[in-house]
Amino acid sequence: MYWKYFVRRILYAVMILAITVFVFSALFSTVAEQVLRAQIIEQVNAEALTLARQRTSLDPNAAQVFREYRTQQLIRRHSLDQPMAVRVVKRTLDALTLQLGNSTQIKSAAGETDVMTIIAERIPRTLLLFGVVAVIDIVAGVWLGMRKARQAGKLMDRSTDIVTMIVFGLPTWWLGMLLIMVFAFAIPIFPSGAMHASPPPESSLGYFLDLMYHLVLPVFTLVILGFWGRAYITRNIVLSTLQEDFIMSARARGLSERRILFGHTLRAAAPPIVTMSLLALLGSVGGALIFEGIFSWPGLGNLYWVAVQQNDIPVLMGNLTVTTALYIGGLAFLDLIYGFLDPRVKVGGKA
Amino acid sequence: MKGARFSGLRRFWDEYRQVKSGLIGIGLLVVFILIVLLEPVALPYRQANERWRDINYWQDSPRLALPVWVNWFTSKDYPRSTVISEPKREEVATGTLRVITMEVPYEFTSGHPPSDLYYKLYLTGRASIAFEFIRPDGEKVELRRSTAVDGAQILRLSAIETLQERAYALGAKYEDPNVAKSRNPRMIDTMGVLFGQAARGIFIKPAILDGTYRMRIQVALVNEQSQLNKAEFVVLGGVSGILGTDGDRRDLWCGFIAGTKWALLIGLLTSLISVVVGVVYGVAAGYFGGWIDALMNRIFEVVLSIPLLPILIVMSAVFNPSIWIIIAMMCLFFWVGPVKTVRSMALQIKEHSYIEAAKALGASHRRILFRHMIPQLIPYSFASMALSVPGAILYEASISLIGLGDPTIVSWGQVLRDAFSSGAVLQGIWWWIIPPGVAIALMGMTFAFIGFAMDTILNPKLKTR
Repeated sequence: MYWKYFVRRILYAVMILAITVFVFSALFSTVAEQVLRAQIIEQVNAEALTLARQRTSLDPNAAQVFREYRTQQLIRRHSLDQPMAVRVVKRTLDALTLQLGNSTQIKSAAGETDVMTIIAERIPRTLLLFGVVAVIDIVAGVWLGMRKARQAGKLMDRSTDIVTMIVFGLPTWWLGMLLIMVFAFAIPIFPSGAMHASPPPESSLGYFLDLMYHLVLPVFTLVILGFWGRAYITRNIVLSTLQEDFIMSARARGLSERRILFGHTLRAAAPPIVTMSLLALLGSVGGALIFEGIFSWPGLGNLYWVAVQQNDIPVLMGNLTVTTALYIGGLAFLDLIYGFLDPRVKVGGKA
Repeated sequence: MKGARFSGLRRFWDEYRQVKSGLIGIGLLVVFILIVLLEPVALPYRQANERWRDINYWQDSPRLALPVWVNWFTSKDYPRSTVISEPKREEVATGTLRVITMEVPYEFTSGHPPSDLYYKLYLTGRASIAFEFIRPDGEKVELRRSTAVDGAQILRLSAIETLQERAYALGAKYEDPNVAKSRNPRMIDTMGVLFGQAARGIFIKPAILDGTYRMRIQVALVNEQSQLNKAEFVVLGGVSGILGTDGDRRDLWCGFIAGTKWALLIGLLTSLISVVVGVVYGVAAGYFGGWIDALMNRIFEVVLSIPLLPILIVMSAVFNPSIWIIIAMMCLFFWVGPVKTVRSMALQIKEHSYIEAAKALGASHRRILFRHMIPQLIPYSFASMALSVPGAILYEASISLIGLGDPTIVSWGQVLRDAFSSGAVLQGIWWWIIPPGVAIALMGMTFAFIGFAMDTILNPKLKTR
């Protein structure tokens, strides 16, 4: 039965993505078309120039005819002569099939202007950073959350609660700036940003160690702010699980408190803890986009900074599409895990 | 009737008073509101709001000055700014040529040189000027300049801008010739040399020369039309104001004060609108049920699966919105916050018999929703509102940091943006970075304290085991 749920959830994600991308396409239709027209004119000019160089005897009239013909051809190819509704639908379909057009300024490492190539080379870097953060964050958060739940209402619980509230509105990127100032300027023991020393070390071990060295400060910043929230969620879920009947029966059977906590409670509470934590992390990806810019970590978030600075609209919109797709994919993935761990979810799904 | 409706709130407040952190939150909120109300009194620069980005407005304050209180913690004091307006004039006239001489003694005992000093002359017509900087040890640095401008003008003779090469010449007399040669005359620390002891090392690490410095200026007015209307002598200190100044000479305390009202406004307005919309939406979905509920749920889920910050960034980059549009855009996505909880609460409330009784009495849907269901959700709404304030402030700050904020306002995020983009982080200019971030964090903390306090009251089973 799980595969039915699986297919349904995936289809649902695709549908939501399609709606979202359609809204984006409609919203940014004017500006996207302006850029596209400018790009067409640029391309035709370049072609005309090459043509003039190849055939010096070319009649200026013929050159003009070529320009007009070629411009019309390109406009037709990009459907710019179609009515508005058709254009928006076509752009939606293009975006969904990841044909994101060409950038105006930014180039990929190999010098290409294809937006998808530019974005694709950055995805693994973002995933690396946040993958590492997610693992450390959840392990530390669950550990602290269990301790808090064991001593709920006691000093340890209350004091860590206060820390949770203090860091609640704290911008991660500001803490990043602060830590760079401390650990890269005042006590220069860590690099101030980027993913590698330049030039990166040759040997693969050196490369790996260098990468780890550059990961320390950003990961530390994100975890030190994030895991309190995870601990708070864990504590609350564990505490509400402790109210359940099967815990009472376990207590009645005289099981040790430790067994009840780690054997029964944590096992029952694990699915919501994991999904809630991942959900919260996914939600914090937004803020973390800014964060990459502070550490000049060359991922998707940093690409927003670069694209805003250089006013590269196609990259900006392509990046938005890809980020949204990753986000929606992440949500679907979480639901699938949850449905796998907790069979009740896939049956009804009524709140 | 009225009393009955608010007795729930009264009970809520009685419980709320028991939570200490909640009271701290209320206290902090009162402080922030007081700051906003007292803004006209608390702003040292009256037009800081309107002219935050106007370079001319800030030209008379020092660049990158530390906060004043730094002097309490250092053994070597930083000098404070002083203005001497209308120094005593001595006028000698020979025919149409009049020479006005002014001399200001400047008692200097600080541990660091001032960040700049200058004469500010309000002139009409033609004049020729000689500026002499006379040190306690008798060394002189001199500058001559003539000006011929029709009409009125303000002339600033700043030591940093005009005396640099002459300061180099002074230093080169005493410094090791090899060191002197290796220095670029345009890269030396002008104020350090001007106030440094004339000895070797004046270019490397000058020791401060205490004593009375004299700033003499001679203004020769060439003809009768020429006038010196006003003169000021200004020393720009190394410290200024409660929070120091930034790289564009702006007073950061003004930035903090001016940013407070925008942070409160952005946070409260966004959360108020979105919680009201979200609660009504959730209650309606739960109450009506059926296909309306299903449709509303779908819309809710679509909005929920859009990552907020990226779309805000792209929309801001494309439309260059004002702060009001930014708030509206945030509301478009923030309202989903309370929907899920409110809907499930509404599903429970709906089953109560008094709702059925109201229905049987022929009450309209609107009456049931707004008179019977929503009032019960007010405590939850307040908690949800408080908890969504920090998010709104954070998002505005994040957009500002990337450089897409509303350029007509002063927000903490924009101060941080200026700091980050001018490299304050790697120059260790802590007083430019720490206060705005602490302000954002404190504001977030205020509402987190309030929100979490309400949350513990609403979910009593989370209090203890």
